[in-house]
Amino acid sequence: MSRMVEVKDVSKSFDGTLAVNAVNLVLNRGEFLTIVGPSGCGKTTLLRMIAGFEVPSAGEIRINNERVENIPPYRRSIGMVFQKLALFPHMTAAQNVAYPLKMRRFEPAQIPSLVDKYLQLVQLGDYAGRYPHELSGGQQQRVAIARALSFSPDLLLLDEPLSALDKKLREEMQLEFRRIQQELGVTTINVTHDQREALVMSDRIAVMNEGVVQQDGTPVDMYRNPENRFVANFIGMTSLFEGTVCATGDGVVSVKSGNVLLQARSNDKVLPVNTKVDCAIRAEQIRIVEDASVYDNSVFGTIEHRIFEGDRIVYTVHVEDLGGARLHLFDHDPVSHKEYPANERVRLGWNARDLFAFQAPQSN
Amino acid sequence: MQRNQIIRTRLGWKLLDGIERLVSALWPARFKGSVGRVLLLPAVLLIGILVIGLGYMIEYSFHELDLSTYRLKDEYSLVNYAVIADRPVYMRVLNRTLLAALIVSVTTVFLAFPYAYMLVRTRSALTRKFLLIALFLPFFIGQVVRAYGWLIILGKQGLINSLLEGLGLPALNLIYNYPSVIFGLIQYMLPFAILLIVPAVAAISEDVELASEGLGANWISTFRHIVLPLARPGLIGAFVVVFTLTLTDFAMPEILGGGTTDFIASAIYDSFFQLSNAGLGAALSMILVMIGSVIVAAIFYLAGTGTLGVREQSR
Amino acid sequence: MSMILDTKTNRRTVLKTGAAAVGMLAMPSVLRAQEKPKEIIVRAWGGAWGDALKAGVADPFTEATGIKVRLDFTEDNEIKPKIWAAVDQGRVPPIHVNWDTTTNATISALRGATVDLSDLSNLKGLLPLAKPSGLEGYPLVNTYAYVYVCAYRPEAFPDGPPTSWNVLIDPKFKGRIALYDDGIGFNPISVIVGGGTFADIPDNMEPGYEFYRKLKQNEPLLGEDADFTTWFQKGEIDVACTISVNARAAKESGIDVAWTVPKEGCKVDTDGLWVPKGLPANEEHWAKEFVNFALTKDAQQKWCSMLGLPPVYPGIEPPADLVGDPSYPTTPEDFAKLVSVPSPVLVENQPIWFAKFNEIFQG
Repeated sequence: MSRMVEVKDVSKSFDGTLAVNAVNLVLNRGEFLTIVGPSGCGKTTLLRMIAGFEVPSAGEIRINNERVENIPPYRRSIGMVFQKLALFPHMTAAQNVAYPLKMRRFEPAQIPSLVDKYLQLVQLGDYAGRYPHELSGGQQQRVAIARALSFSPDLLLLDEPLSALDKKLREEMQLEFRRIQQELGVTTINVTHDQREALVMSDRIAVMNEGVVQQDGTPVDMYRNPENRFVANFIGMTSLFEGTVCATGDGVVSVKSGNVLLQARSNDKVLPVNTKVDCAIRAEQIRIVEDASVYDNSVFGTIEHRIFEGDRIVYTVHVEDLGGARLHLFDHDPVSHKEYPANERVRLGWNARDLFAFQAPQSN
Repeated sequence: MQRNQIIRTRLGWKLLDGIERLVSALWPARFKGSVGRVLLLPAVLLIGILVIGLGYMIEYSFHELDLSTYRLKDEYSLVNYAVIADRPVYMRVLNRTLLAALIVSVTTVFLAFPYAYMLVRTRSALTRKFLLIALFLPFFIGQVVRAYGWLIILGKQGLINSLLEGLGLPALNLIYNYPSVIFGLIQYMLPFAILLIVPAVAAISEDVELASEGLGANWISTFRHIVLPLARPGLIGAFVVVFTLTLTDFAMPEILGGGTTDFIASAIYDSFFQLSNAGLGAALSMILVMIGSVIVAAIFYLAGTGTLGVREQSR
Repeated sequence: MSMILDTKTNRRTVLKTGAAAVGMLAMPSVLRAQEKPKEIIVRAWGGAWGDALKAGVADPFTEATGIKVRLDFTEDNEIKPKIWAAVDQGRVPPIHVNWDTTTNATISALRGATVDLSDLSNLKGLLPLAKPSGLEGYPLVNTYAYVYVCAYRPEAFPDGPPTSWNVLIDPKFKGRIALYDDGIGFNPISVIVGGGTFADIPDNMEPGYEFYRKLKQNEPLLGEDADFTTWFQKGEIDVACTISVNARAAKESGIDVAWTVPKEGCKVDTDGLWVPKGLPANEEHWAKEFVNFALTKDAQQKWCSMLGLPPVYPGIEPPADLVGDPSYPTTPEDFAKLVSVPSPVLVENQPIWFAKFNEIFQG
């Protein structure tokens, strides 16, 4: 596979504050990468540097093996869908889609058929003559993506275009974007703060925090093997508590947390005895049990509150023995399972392979 | 401290509640539908008075002045219009006024746009503050003070001519001529034009401009195809306002024209007050109103009603 | 009393005001007519002009009668239509006394907007100048004469004052000359300096128009009283045709200005006072008393000497700085050097002259 985008040691600072800090990323042709992270993590700045709206303070960006840091946006072959879509309000859907073709000096005779092709692609063939304000939110999204794709760019950039939509429409559009991306095979970078969107849409995810890429991998890999506390916490519903390593084995460590001894996986990292660690456990891995012997780890706790979400119940359990930690867990069968009321004392159990132990940052 | 603040807040709430109760007692909810119409009344009345005045003007313009009594004659005639048509001076003054209105409005809009654009788009708070102060400062300086200021700068012994003299160059006539009237009008109109254009520019999302650039347009194309069409309502609004203000301006030619570059408003003033000829003044006013209305109507016709922002805009 | 004797007053107005007064105060209208108003409003020109009126007439009048005098500085041309409209519509006019040019006052008199002043006690013994010409009785009274002199900056005339109005078309002073913006004060002179004679006025004004066309080439500034002072002060102009009062006021405020009467002469004119119709009887009475007061020797002396103008009261000595000054005519020989156009001629022809003046200078 050939490389489409290569970001090498790229940094960007605004007024002395580092927004993006020595980021490295590689994107292959046809890949769908999602950069996910909380707001202010630098993901949008990184995207804008790739698009050409910002110039990196340091580092290299290559697109199609060409260095682009000093090439203006209009000379790059990049289609971008903005957060607020940025459709041209004074142009019809068709005129919006034709705009990049005109600006990029496509053969005039070619333009109508291309416009038609891309409007068909986004299923808006009948809406060519409508102005943006005459279209629904979802239809506007489709025009925006048709406009970004009509000139067959090397790269498609999505700057949280779905964030303003309601949940149902957002999920529909996530699938629609993915379908179009796969149909055209266009290399795509999507930016979002929504971990679910990242998992659903992407071939690959890069999690960013404080200007740094924390982890870069496939969705499944990312979910199964988070490399640090931030990633573990950011992807999935995760509970965290602190502990100290008291014995270390092959991929497994014993951690003392509060007054409990727990078995955890160290993720192939060597964690010597007495290392301070952050432990992370996903909500779906914890069970309320009668018999603790099936699980590697077991603790007692008190149900603090319970949220009924229809397809599941989310319990928050206060565990005195774990230094007062609060653990979240799901019950995925609210219909046949017993419902535990608040203040009820329960026993929780989980396996060692589901409890991650990450070395705590030095300063702590 | 905190206690005081709480008491004050409570007091504020009580006051607001009281006002609300009072208002609802005075203005029962069933009247609410008519509130909008009632609030419209003063504006309608003002315009009504204007229309009545205009009616009188039309009437006056068809009566000739009787020089033996200085009253308008009772019988209707077209004498005033004939006098205007007969005297080339009125045509010259009218042409001068129209030309000035055209030059001033085009130049002003041209100069105001980058200013408004900068004011909206600048990232530096300092620049924005400076631009805002520079924009509003002229409003605080009356026209008369400004007129004196121009004399100090542009006069024969003014700043510029002193500098020229210092350089051994001949003095220039910078004031009391047509170009200085145009200059003064542009300077006077610029803040109005900027204020009218700023909202139009502010309504253009910055993303739209970036999108255009990302889609392959350089800044010139972006300006031509995106910014200009989207700012058009503001630009045309500013053009129309500056054009009509200039067309009817009286003070600037009076102050900077040196008495020999009268605009049509000066001719109207002279007819009413120097000649005490209300008929002639009214006829000149009617011609001015007519020309102004036709031009403005033509602009709106050509630019479409969307210019007035009547059509719904999506964001 | 005067109200009853005044036959020219619109009878209906008199009856109406009289009836209102009686109805209101249940008092004989004769007594009511004498009742003092709190104040009377006198329209005046500002600057040196207003100061002189205040010190010479208004303040002494207040002292003598207890009636306050408020000066209203609305432009003479702008107050005129207001008074006319009030008189036409039977409303009370906005002012009690109008200080006006004789030409404009005559127009108002022709329109029937003025009250007859023939019964003023102080009219007796005034110079003939006080009597308005071409009108019956005293619908206004002239109060002094003034001259549109040739004012100049001595600095620009090292060889002595200009001797001829031709200085206005001297290319040396291109763009540095000024006239009134309606040509007032220069219209008859232009005919003479343009090669015509006084007899040509008003039937053959062409020499004057020809002179104006030449003058136009010399790029004059056209303005009003206040402009001349500013222009002299800022060095914008070297010569102007303006009323001597403005030149004298500029000189007194430290500006280097002198004036002269060139060989072609200068236009001499008069100003006057008049009382609009439609005032309540008592206010009209005291408005007339104000005019009467302005014609007393003391008022004339103070008012006119401050202005530096020859009053209509005979035998008053000129101010020290104007003794022998050509802009202060006292003897028949002095008047011989000046050009005086009768008011009726001015009233009839001024609009025509103005139109022509405008046509030439706005071209």
